Amino acid sequence: MIDIKQLEIGYQNKRQYNSVFKDINLTLNAGDLVGLMGDNGVGKSTFLKTITGNLVPLSGEIKINSKSITHYTSQQLSQLLSIVVTEKIGGFNLTVWDVVATGRTPYINIFGKLTPEDETIITKALEQLNLLPLKDKLIDELSDGQRQKVMIAKSLAQQTPIIVLDEPTAFLDHTSKHHLFATLKQLCAEQGKLIIVSSHDLELMKTYINKSVMMAENNSISIK
Amino acid sequence: MSKSKFIFTTLMLLLILAVLTICDLCFGSTNLFNVESSNPMFSSILYDIRLPKTLTSIIAGSGLALCGLLMQSLFRNPLAGPYVLGVSSGSSLFVAIATMMISSIHVSGFFIMGKSIVTLFSIMGAFFVTLIILLVSRKNKSNVTVLLVGLMLGQILSAFQGLIEYMSNADNLKTFVMWGMGSVGSTTLQDLYFVIPIYTITIIASFFFIKPLNAILLNEQYAQNLGVNVNALRLSVIILSAVLVGIITAFCGPIAFVGISVPIASRLFFKTSHHLHQMTFCLLLGACVVLTADVICQVLSSQFMLPINTVTTLIGSPVVIYLLFKSKLSIG
Repeated sequence: MIDIKQLEIGYQNKRQYNSVFKDINLTLNAGDLVGLMGDNGVGKSTFLKTITGNLVPLSGEIKINSKSITHYTSQQLSQLLSIVVTEKIGGFNLTVWDVVATGRTPYINIFGKLTPEDETIITKALEQLNLLPLKDKLIDELSDGQRQKVMIAKSLAQQTPIIVLDEPTAFLDHTSKHHLFATLKQLCAEQGKLIIVSSHDLELMKTYINKSVMMAENNSISIK
Repeated sequence: MSKSKFIFTTLMLLLILAVLTICDLCFGSTNLFNVESSNPMFSSILYDIRLPKTLTSIIAGSGLALCGLLMQSLFRNPLAGPYVLGVSSGSSLFVAIATMMISSIHVSGFFIMGKSIVTLFSIMGAFFVTLIILLVSRKNKSNVTVLLVGLMLGQILSAFQGLIEYMSNADNLKTFVMWGMGSVGSTTLQDLYFVIPIYTITIIASFFFIKPLNAILLNEQYAQNLGVNVNALRLSVIILSAVLVGIITAFCGPIAFVGISVPIASRLFFKTSHHLHQMTFCLLLGACVVLTADVICQVLSSQFMLPINTVTTLIGSPVVIYLLFKSKLSIG
C-alpha cells in the first residue's frame, strides 16, 4: 500500500537544507497496524508529515498504491489518508459533532451540506469511540484525552484506507489507551485499513501492533 | 444548528432588519410619517437622501461583519478584524494619499474627483495591510504576535496619515477628518450603482468558501489533509476582505467595532460554527447594528450628524463585553 524507497526527510528553504533522517526503505501493507517509535527529536513527526504530503521529501520516493504521492491531487490524497496531530484545536463554538463532521469535507458539496449518509457515517465514527453522548458538547469543555478521541473519530469519518496518528495516546489514561489501540487493531483487521501510530508507550505498542518501525540516531532504522 | 432553527433565526433577523430599515428611512430631521406621500418633498427626502443612506448602512454593516468573520476564521483568532489588524488604517492612509494627490494636481474637492480613484486606493491600502499581516502570521504562528503586529502597523500607518494631514491644506483636511469619523450619509444613489454590484459579487463569492473555512477552524494542517488548498483560501479571503473593507471605507470612512464585534456577538448568540450559518447571521446582524446606530444618530441629533463611529462603539462595545462575561461559550 505504501512503498518508501531511499527517502530522505527534513526541511529545506532558500537558505538552509536540514536533513533529519535518510535512507528510509519501507513497505507497509493494508491491514497493518504500524508502530513508529524513537526518541524525541529523532524525526518521527517529520517522517509522518512527509508521508502524508504535508512536507516535501528531500529525496527518494513515496508511493501509495503504486503511484507517487506527488502525483495525487490534494483532493485525492484527502480520500486516501487522514491524520491526527498533537496540536490542540478548539474555540469558535466547535462541538464534537462539528469536528467529526469536518472529516466529511472531501465528500460534501461546496456549501458544506451533509447528506443523511454523511450523518450516518459521523454517528458511526462517534459510536466507535464512545463519543455519541458527548456529540453536542463544545470541544473546549472536554478533557485532553476526549479531544484526542474526537480527532480520531474525525479520521474515521474521513473513511480513508490509511490513517496516520502522531502521538495519539499522549493525553490518554490507561483504559482509554487500551480502548483506542483495541479500536485501531479492530479497524485494521475488519476494514483492512493501514494505520501508522507514533508513540513512546512501548509496552502498549508491543501488545497491539503487528509491525514496528524504530527510528534511532545516525539514520538507523529497524523494522520488525 | 438544525435546518429549521437556522431558517427561523434567519427570518427573525430579516424581520428585525425590515423594521430597522423602515425606521431608518422614516426618522430624521423630517419625520416621514408626518409627511404626505403626495408631497414632492416626501420623494425627494426618501429617494435622494434617506434611501442611499439606509442602503449604505446595510452594505457597510453587513460587509464589515462578514470581513471580520472571514478574518477571524482565517487567522483562527476572535480578535481579528479589519480595524484591529490595521486594514482600515491601510485604507485610510491610501485614501489620504489619494486626497493629497488630488490637491497637488489642483483638482479641487476630494468628493468631486470621482470616488473611483479613492475607492481603488482604499482597496489597495486594505490589500497591502492584509498581505503583510498574512505574511507575519505565516512566519509566526502566535496569535498574540499577529495581533500586536496589526496594532503596531495600524499605528505606523496612522502616523503617516497624520503627516499627510499636517501637510494638507485646510479644505482637504476638513473633508478628510469628517470622512475619518465615519458616515453613511455622504453616499449618493449614483455611488450605489457602483458599490452594489461589487458588494453583491463579493458577498456571493464568500459563500463559495464555506467548506474550506469550516475545515480551517481545526488548523491548517488538518485543513490541508481534508483537501483544502490553504494558500488559495488565504489569498481568496484576503482579496475578498480587501475589496469589501476598501470599498466600504472609501465611502463611509473607517468604521470601528462592527468588523470585530459582530462576529463575536453572532457566535455568542447563535451557537454554531458552520460558516453557512455564521455568514448569514453576520451579514444580517451587521446590517442591523449599523442601521440601529444610524437610527440612534438621527433621533439624537436631528440638527447635526453624529459620527457613526461614536455610536457603533458606544452601544456595541459594552454589549459585547457584557456578553463575554455572561457567556461560558468559547468564541475562539
